[in-house]
Amino acid sequence: MAVFRRIANLFRRSRIDREIEAELQSHIALLIDDNLARGMSAAEARRDALVRFGNPTATRERVTAADTMLSLDALAHDLRFALRQLRRSPGFTIAAVSALALGIGANTAIFSVVNAVLLKPLTYPNADRIVEFVLPSSIANNLANIPEFHAYQRQTSVFQEVAAYDRISPGFNLTGERPELIQGIHVTESYFRLFGAPVVLGRTFTPQEDAPYGGKVVVLSYHLWQRRFGGNPDVIGKSLSLGNEPYTIVGIIGPQFVSDPEAEFWLPYQFPPVSDDMNHYFLVAGLLKPGVTLEQANAQLKLASVQYRRDFPRSNPHQIFRVAFLRDAIVSDTRSSLLVLLGTCGLVLLIACANVANLLLVRATGRQREFAIRSALGAGRGRIVRQLLTESILLSIAGGISGLVIGFAGVRALLVISPAGLPRVGENGSALTMDWRVLGFTLAISLLTGVLFGLIPALSASRSDVNSMLKESSGRSGTGFRQGKARSFLVVSEVSLALVLLIGSGLLIRTLIALHSVSPGFDSHHVLALDMSLTGDRFHKTEAVAELSKKGRDRLNAIPGVEISSAAYWLPIQVDDGMPFEIFGRPAGKNVLASRWISISPGYLGVFKIPVLRGRDFNENDTASAPGVALINQAMVKRFWPNEDPMGQQILLGRGTGPSLQGEPTRRIIGIVGDTHSNGLSNPADAMVFVPVAQVTNGYTAAYTDTAPLLWVLRTRGDPHQVIAAATEQLRIASGGFPVAHIRTMEEAMGTSTARQSFNMVLFTIFGVVALILAAIGIYGLMAYSVAQRTQEMGIRMALGADRDTIRKLVVWQGMRLALVGVVAGIAASFGLTRLLSTFLFGVKPWDPAVFVSAPLILTAIALVAVWLPAARASKVDPMQALRSE
Amino acid sequence: MAKNDLQGTLDLLVLKTLADNGALHGYGIVLHIQNASGEVLRVEEGSLYPALHRMEQNGWIAAEWAMTETNRRAKYYKLTAAGRRQLDIAQESFDQLVRGVRAVLRYA
Repeated sequence: MAVFRRIANLFRRSRIDREIEAELQSHIALLIDDNLARGMSAAEARRDALVRFGNPTATRERVTAADTMLSLDALAHDLRFALRQLRRSPGFTIAAVSALALGIGANTAIFSVVNAVLLKPLTYPNADRIVEFVLPSSIANNLANIPEFHAYQRQTSVFQEVAAYDRISPGFNLTGERPELIQGIHVTESYFRLFGAPVVLGRTFTPQEDAPYGGKVVVLSYHLWQRRFGGNPDVIGKSLSLGNEPYTIVGIIGPQFVSDPEAEFWLPYQFPPVSDDMNHYFLVAGLLKPGVTLEQANAQLKLASVQYRRDFPRSNPHQIFRVAFLRDAIVSDTRSSLLVLLGTCGLVLLIACANVANLLLVRATGRQREFAIRSALGAGRGRIVRQLLTESILLSIAGGISGLVIGFAGVRALLVISPAGLPRVGENGSALTMDWRVLGFTLAISLLTGVLFGLIPALSASRSDVNSMLKESSGRSGTGFRQGKARSFLVVSEVSLALVLLIGSGLLIRTLIALHSVSPGFDSHHVLALDMSLTGDRFHKTEAVAELSKKGRDRLNAIPGVEISSAAYWLPIQVDDGMPFEIFGRPAGKNVLASRWISISPGYLGVFKIPVLRGRDFNENDTASAPGVALINQAMVKRFWPNEDPMGQQILLGRGTGPSLQGEPTRRIIGIVGDTHSNGLSNPADAMVFVPVAQVTNGYTAAYTDTAPLLWVLRTRGDPHQVIAAATEQLRIASGGFPVAHIRTMEEAMGTSTARQSFNMVLFTIFGVVALILAAIGIYGLMAYSVAQRTQEMGIRMALGADRDTIRKLVVWQGMRLALVGVVAGIAASFGLTRLLSTFLFGVKPWDPAVFVSAPLILTAIALVAVWLPAARASKVDPMQALRSE
Repeated sequence: MAKNDLQGTLDLLVLKTLADNGALHGYGIVLHIQNASGEVLRVEEGSLYPALHRMEQNGWIAAEWAMTETNRRAKYYKLTAAGRRQLDIAQESFDQLVRGVRAVLRYA
């Protein structure tokens, strides 16, 4: 390839020079030889040869020029020249590079996160076919019961596998030499096939083992196997003691399998083949058959729901089975927030590019005379365009590289401030790596910016008529009109985009403030929560749990510094369980209502300071043998007794939901309590029923202790952390040796409830500030350049009698006019765009007046500063100097 | 319009010379053109060598150092396949030039 040879020649210059020299010398030698042969004397032959050859140095140079391509030399020259030019105006260079770096850096960081969470598929092998069964009923959050599971299983025309698994790990007490509380879940035997869990040793459950009386067997995770058994391969067939009961180990799952919910081992559910247990307590996933679409599966499930209602007439008549992709379910609300972030990033990048374009435009204008002179001296139009392009590409490469550095740092920073719940970023964000796509994306953007925005000024600079340009710029009185319009447009759009971002972050800040001021309905200060696993047959009876609750509370209450304590299955911020109920004395039929419900022991309301508005709290006399009692919250009163007094009325919970609630007593409403935001702060309080732990059915107790830990909560006088050791010890004694885990203060538990909002707020604030800085750079750059260009004009104005104040006002007004047009445009755009944010807002309207007034004011103030500096410089122009300067 | 500058003509002469004689060094090319043209055309070394190097960069000719009959080291040039194609192009182009010039001369 000729081009490559030429490029190679560039680097082998000296060798080639020597070779050319040798070639020319050999020519002369041959000439001399012939002269000698013709009979000349040696001296004469040599002289004649040299004369005939001409100037060897000139020839050598011409040959060398032929060897190396001119344009390559020119490129090197362009580069050198561009570097020199950029060095000569460091202000411009720094402004342009940092604008690009900020825009590209923010984009790279966000793109990396979006990439990991949204674009990369779930790590399961068949992730694109795994679906989750969704129940649009208000009773329980997507939880299924055994009859529903069996109905799902029968849909073999659309599902290859259907598997049930626990919603959360109840925690298990691993007994033996080193007791600890570990996490494991119940699954059906199909679970491992569905999620493609790799078996490294042994096998998973057989269908026989997953049937009633299938024996106690367990599959271990790789980590548990390594930790407890040192990775010993003889472990298969050995037993693992969980809650003092031996389980036979049948297999080990590979380390790359990530189970959701987190689990270190798996136990078989052993569902009965026929059941009428209507209790919803587990999740179900399905693997679509290859080629089956989501729509086909849902159509089939609709038919299945009809059949199911025929088989179980007491089931919810409005319930229709449906599936959704598991990936979508996992990223559901993260998706929209990340897409908004991505859009925001786009805006920031747009501002950055506009900034650079503007700076390049301004600069090209300032250099018009230089180009005119060069063009007059014979530089071709192509050459000038190439020169400008070289400069702008150099700028964008520098911006791209610094942007990447900022991006790397930004990804790390994002992880630090990201909410703990951001899915799929891996352990410590290990899944969040800068990949080649991110790199390509960034570099492409920066190069495109350079070429695109380098081209516009380059073309317009080279197109102009040399003559008029020389004249115009020699006057130095002003700059071309058309370019001035383009620049003004860019500044105006920068300002308006920045304002959109600023208003967006203002709204999110207001949201966070509003959330913090929401009263959750309980007091979260000085409250400690501890989990205790009660898995195993011993706690399948309500009596045992009630006894443990009493013993534990007595011991906790005796700890100095503890005001009051309680045991329950849920914290007030997250009550997921719902239950249908009937009100006595109401006509049957429409009487099946649903509310959330929670069982608590005496003291719970005291721990959380949930007020008892009427009637009384539970006490130690509300035992299993006493009459059934219930407390309800105000939301429940409003919803179900809008015009009646519920006090003393009787309700029956969970009729027809299956064997686990058989024997549920009729309950008398003995009190009304304040509302708590049981489902996140940004959601309204749900209707809720409270029942005493001591008065629930054995079936309820067994279902809970098998699937969720018992929760101990206590109110302390001082810092809750100070009683952790004593509480742990007393609970160990009370339970006969059970450990506690997941110890957290209520404030820590609450933090995750507002974590997403604070994350959004922080990101938007960063973007807002970046946009503000960029807009300021843009206005400042434009005005500073314009002032520099108009030094002479200022001089003349002053010489004609304008005082410094007038000059300053003139410049300030010119800059501020652009800023104000941008502000007006930005406010208009924000009215349209903030509606997209409305799902993230709470307690604030998308057109919140406070934000729509303060953000433009802040931006205007910053713009004023950016304009003031060049204006001050303009007013300090010495008229004599300015007039002489040309 | 045919490419009909003088540089093109020099290229044509060199390519034709190499096509007829196989490998030749620069001096040999000068001598051959001189002899073949009946001493009418005399190629300047100052033009020849840049032309040779340019044609080498274009891949029309290949060069190689070798010994002459008089035992001197010299750089020998020979035609490549691309050079043979270029020779056809240059010849056609030159013919066109000559036809054009002839036509003008006749008209005048």
